[in-house]
Amino acid sequence: MKKFLLISFLLLCANFAYATNVLEEQNLIQTRIDKVGTDLLNYNKIPKRIVFTYTPQTKKSLLSTDKALTKRQIIVYDGLYQHLQTDDELAAMLAREISTAVKSYSGVWGGTLDSVQVALGSKKFEVVADKRAVDYMVNAGYSPLALIVFINKTYPQKRFDRFSRHNLTSKRLAKIYEYITYKYPQYLTDEKYLNNEYYQNFLLNSVENRKLLEEKIRTKSTKDVDYE
Amino acid sequence: MNRILSVIFILGLLFIPINIQAEEIAENQAEPTVEEKQILPYNYLSTLSIPIKLTITEPYSTKEPLNEGSTLNFRVLENVYYNGKLIVKKGDEISGKLETNITAGMNGFPAEIVLDDFDIPKIKTSQLQSAYVKKGTNRCFWVYPLKWALTPIPFVGSLTNLIKGGHAQIKTSDVITIYYYPEWY
Repeated sequence: MKKFLLISFLLLCANFAYATNVLEEQNLIQTRIDKVGTDLLNYNKIPKRIVFTYTPQTKKSLLSTDKALTKRQIIVYDGLYQHLQTDDELAAMLAREISTAVKSYSGVWGGTLDSVQVALGSKKFEVVADKRAVDYMVNAGYSPLALIVFINKTYPQKRFDRFSRHNLTSKRLAKIYEYITYKYPQYLTDEKYLNNEYYQNFLLNSVENRKLLEEKIRTKSTKDVDYE
Repeated sequence: MNRILSVIFILGLLFIPINIQAEEIAENQAEPTVEEKQILPYNYLSTLSIPIKLTITEPYSTKEPLNEGSTLNFRVLENVYYNGKLIVKKGDEISGKLETNITAGMNGFPAEIVLDDFDIPKIKTSQLQSAYVKKGTNRCFWVYPLKWALTPIPFVGSLTNLIKGGHAQIKTSDVITIYYYPEWY
């Protein structure tokens, strides 16, 4: 009996120490997310309520509703958070979601119809969210190239996107790069990112798409480029 | 004897992390509480806003889209005063940026134009609440009921996918209102 009590006591102590550590760690992550997220909202003068929640869980289902659209709550899942190494990358992730949440405020019926449009036309609005995220990041003083880095190392590359709800990741990256090229070209020569291995990896795997963009710029075309 | 030693050993292992935490907490408490004065680069305390009415000088439509980031020109429709001083004069030309073009989509989704980043002399960008969105005709209102009505007939409901939303256009007669918050910085 004494042994049992002793072991129970030891286990309780261990559990308490572990729980305290985990809570403190989660609190630090939540504070970091809140800080970067609120910076994005304030610098962009977004007059709408949006909250950020960190969860140590992984995203369960593709069919689960996007809380950025329904509750204007941005959920940062642990699986994704592990990929975020800098504040720029965290800002990139949050800025995309903020863009979706902002869209859910516009239009009739408290933004319901626009939210439905975002959910159904996800391929188109995926690109829109990427572009708005670039603007939000620049306005808040983050480098938009971090969005390229974040997507390049996080999202896998499918074979086709014709029947998919999402664009090929390479297409998204090419469109973001084009957007930055036209609107914020000063960032393309940022030394910090030219010496970033993930950004260099993007430059390597986007050579063909960047050639298409160079052709568009050379011919001064305004048509959409059919990226690969 | 062995039991006592093993219990002491286990207790030691368990209390190391707790002790480390206790030390950290004690250190944090022992630090002199010098509060850093943080001054944010913005202050949204004031609610005073002054509308600035503009009109585009050349009509723009998503039918013939420009590249995002292109500069568009606008004309000021009314004098803008703050504290009795003329800030923006009627007829002045100012520039703004085409932020995003959203193309029209299937099932009646309308196209959208987003304008922002207006450049007005004497007014800082941080003092402007200037995002302006113009949408095309939203056909979702009747396309979706039609789609649902046709769904029982195989494949026919999908035909509504072919109906696109309207193009967005900003005419020279459209009044674009943006807001100047003179006490923001």
